[in-house]
Amino acid sequence: MKRRRIAPWIAAGVALVLVFVVFVAATSKPAEERIAESPLVGRPAPAVAGEPVTDRSGTLAELRGKYVVVNFFATWCVPCREEHPELIRFAARGDAAVLQVVYGDRETKVRDFMEKHGGDWPVIADPTGSIALDWGVRGLPESYIVDPDGIVQAKIIGGATEAFIESVLRRLETGR
Amino acid sequence: MRTRVLWLLLVLAVAGALVVALTGGDADDSSPAARAAAISAGVRCPTCAGQSVAESAAPAAEAVRAEIRRRVDAGQSREEIEAYLEGRYGSDILLTPPRRGVGALVWVVPLVVVATAGAGLWLALRRWSRRSLAHASEDDRSLVERAR
Repeated sequence: MKRRRIAPWIAAGVALVLVFVVFVAATSKPAEERIAESPLVGRPAPAVAGEPVTDRSGTLAELRGKYVVVNFFATWCVPCREEHPELIRFAARGDAAVLQVVYGDRETKVRDFMEKHGGDWPVIADPTGSIALDWGVRGLPESYIVDPDGIVQAKIIGGATEAFIESVLRRLETGR
Repeated sequence: MRTRVLWLLLVLAVAGALVVALTGGDADDSSPAARAAAISAGVRCPTCAGQSVAESAAPAAEAVRAEIRRRVDAGQSREEIEAYLEGRYGSDILLTPPRRGVGALVWVVPLVVVATAGAGLWLALRRWSRRSLAHASEDDRSLVERAR
């Protein structure tokens, strides 16, 4: 008899929890840009050098003396495609150099993509994934901000906007 | 006497488990391929959920496997290779917690808990057995006599 009275309450409790979970899942924002932890932050940046995919060549070592945004991307990655015009706008400001590394994509596709969408910076091939491994890349897109001394200062995951990268850069420059 | 031997065996088993937990029981003296495979089995695939790099066919897993093999061939130890990967991805790249630093607690704490619980049980059993072997006092005997 007592069990009959408790059962509806248990069912109501379970239903309430389910409604809460569905509500949280439905209202939470999709994955977007944010600063992520990385063991590399505060340490010398791993090398970024390899075959250039476009006419622009360059390595991270050659960019020493200025802030550099090292961006890992692929043309099949939708957030990377959405991020691309933001990177172009950011690069146009001239506050930092941009260096892209191809992650798990065909060079011909990347070359076509760059020709079509623009982006006047070196794009480095990483056919074995060794550059991505050295940087601890877990997903796409990922960007790392390297300071003029060659030290990794921040890791950004998700498709970053021009404003977000700029705000991170400003914070780093002012030491906050 | 027999009970003491059993307890001694239990203590030895716990001590042995502690030693294995802290030093690792992996056979690292096998071929380079086997060593690389054993290390890969304990490394999480960076881009997929819940799989080791040994199981995954993802390009990132392939890259990690190749790097592990390259480092094994270069004569690096398991600890050195794991330290390299932790330095890139963080400690959660390892499927099993490291046997050093704070990670060692994961291995040691359960054993300490089991040992403490065993010691507590032993003390309790000893106390109960002593109670059951207690001799009747004069008062107890007189009570029994009166009852008759």
